[in-house]
Amino acid sequence: MAWIAKNSASMQIERRDEPYLTLALKKKLEDEVLPRYDTRMAATMPALHLVQDTHGWLPYQAIEEIAEFLGLTASHVLDTATFYEEYWLKPHGKYVIWVCQSLSCEIMGQPSLLEKIKNHLGIEPGETTEDGRFTLMGVECLGSCGTAPCALVNHKLHENITAENFQKVLDSLE
Amino acid sequence: MTILKEPVLCKRIPTHPWGDPADRKVISYDEYVRTGGYKGLANALAMQPKEVVDLVKSAEVRGRGGAGFPAGMKWSFLPPEDGGRRYLAINSDESEPGTFKDRLLIDFDPHIIIEGIAICMHACRLDTAYVYIRGEYHHQRDVFENAIKEAYANKVLGPDSRLGQINGRWPGLFLHRGAGAYVCGEETALLESLEGKRGWPRIKPPFPAVAGAFGRPTIINNVETLAICTPILERGADGPKWFQSMGTQRPEGAPPHVPASFGPKLFGVSGHVNRPGVYEEELGITLKEMIEGLCQGMRGGKKFKSAIPGGISTGVLGPDEYDVRLDFDITKYDTLGLGTAGVIVMDEDTDMVSVARNIARFFSHESCGQCTPCREGTNWMAKMLARIEAGDGTSRDLDLLLEIAGSMGALPSGRGATICGLADGANWAIRTIVNKFWDEFEAKVSKSHFVSLSVVGLTHPNHV
Ligand SMILES: Cc1cc2nc3c(=O)[nH]c(=O)nc-3n(C[C@H](O)[C@H](O)[C@H](O)COP(=O)(O)O)c2cc1C
Ligand code: SF4
Ligand code: FES
Repeated sequence: MAWIAKNSASMQIERRDEPYLTLALKKKLEDEVLPRYDTRMAATMPALHLVQDTHGWLPYQAIEEIAEFLGLTASHVLDTATFYEEYWLKPHGKYVIWVCQSLSCEIMGQPSLLEKIKNHLGIEPGETTEDGRFTLMGVECLGSCGTAPCALVNHKLHENITAENFQKVLDSLE
Repeated sequence: MTILKEPVLCKRIPTHPWGDPADRKVISYDEYVRTGGYKGLANALAMQPKEVVDLVKSAEVRGRGGAGFPAGMKWSFLPPEDGGRRYLAINSDESEPGTFKDRLLIDFDPHIIIEGIAICMHACRLDTAYVYIRGEYHHQRDVFENAIKEAYANKVLGPDSRLGQINGRWPGLFLHRGAGAYVCGEETALLESLEGKRGWPRIKPPFPAVAGAFGRPTIINNVETLAICTPILERGADGPKWFQSMGTQRPEGAPPHVPASFGPKLFGVSGHVNRPGVYEEELGITLKEMIEGLCQGMRGGKKFKSAIPGGISTGVLGPDEYDVRLDFDITKYDTLGLGTAGVIVMDEDTDMVSVARNIARFFSHESCGQCTPCREGTNWMAKMLARIEAGDGTSRDLDLLLEIAGSMGALPSGRGATICGLADGANWAIRTIVNKFWDEFEAKVSKSHFVSLSVVGLTHPNHV
């Protein structure tokens, strides 16, 4: 988590002219989010979520733009972004499959299920398929232990998964 | 075989044995009011704020988020108002493995939570409330956001709220979305996260009631804790008596400051039972009654081996502890407590070494890294348990595991060596599994005192 060092000294930041934090997003934050909080810093997570929901992930340039908009240092925003597992600092596949690996799911058959998903996609957790369609992730308890094993595919929760019904889910995705 | 006479929190959520979960639907504001909703708030608003606090205090409502701290007492720790902002943070981070009860309320009856929130804001003079909802609860976020809109439209909260102005402001309720970090369920980590920082738990004191969110007085309560205040207030002055007609009395001979375990409680049961799910029962129902009654027995007729009473942090119960009462007094069975009442049931085929490995992996993954005993210890335990599971453990490893586990935690059992309770969870989980299933661990490790060379990446010269 947060204590894993990053190679910040030697890092090149890719830039593009068009901002990630667009005027429309800034207005949304200004109108709907900032009035909720006493400090601008408190909008850090909502801003990260907003840019990520729009762009899919968080390039360093976006981190800098959020920092500037909120009057913070880029290192602060990066510090926050790297702490939380849901923020992506690199691109991911079109579909992210988050397979719960916590106890209730494990004792209800998650290991063999994960094995089958790995074989089917040909990747390990943390990896993306070559065609860029699927990223596989292990995740801790999804709050759905009574219907274990379970997994999220992007924002959609799938419960009581078996290798068969999950195969159907994957096949139904474009 | 249920003890609870009628559903309380599940009044509008069809749940066995009173209803069929297949019939569940989201209760809208109108439907909520039609079925008696927002009466508790009306009763609260007819009372002085302090009287509401005293009522909740006299009911002895204990926190439903893990620690079981009496809610009314927490509320009374707030300093007097000074005109500045005062906050309520509603803990909806629900990430403790085995826990999925708050989700039921958010999914289907969000207004019972909002009513509890409004009651608390009135009682404690809090003007701004944030529901900290875990990042993975995407659907729940939408449902709750919609319920907040309804509450604003009907002047429960927001401009012209029926609560009136509090600290010179109209009371506001907002969602704050987490982003996948278990530690943010710890109350001060939650506040850091709310402020836009990494979720590092704070050193206490100061306690949040004095200096919490943005340095201002803040109350933090679990979703279910606030929700259960609603039916109590609904019954007005009779509320505490009604609440205390359910649950168990304080333990025999316990001093008066030890709170009892009153009221109904949501139990989320998962694992090897025939019918897992969230059930509402009185505190004090036995594990056996829960499994054989509501859960319709062990799956496949297997034998019971072990259960976790309230999320993995609470440790495990052994095969001879099938009859224990599920209430806050469960600490007497060498567990950390009732925790979240997320019960994980395991049958005779379960490998307890794997269970320990899974749990240690969880804690090492989720440690925030701030305290050395927790950051290093959880990681070390996870590696050792993976090794033991793979058959490379030695008898000395087991003693070492107990030693590492016992050296972390904020409680005296963890030598007060860490800032927050995450390490206490790791401590109790690993220690109780190893102690209660010693034979199983012993059978898995070799009698040797030394780790084989292959484990450290070397091979013996004779074997090359
Ligand atoms: C590591 C850790 C994680 C926690 N996670 C949660 C959680 O997800 N939800 C929750 O309500 N309480 C959680 N707690 C307990 C909170 O710190 C706090 O005690 C609780 O929210 C207070 O509310 P209550 O008094 O209403 O129970 C956690 C505690 C620790 C140490
Ligand atoms: S005990 Fe662990 S999780 Fe808690 S503050 Fe210390 S390092 Fe972080
Ligand atoms: S353990 Fe998988 S959802 Fe809780």
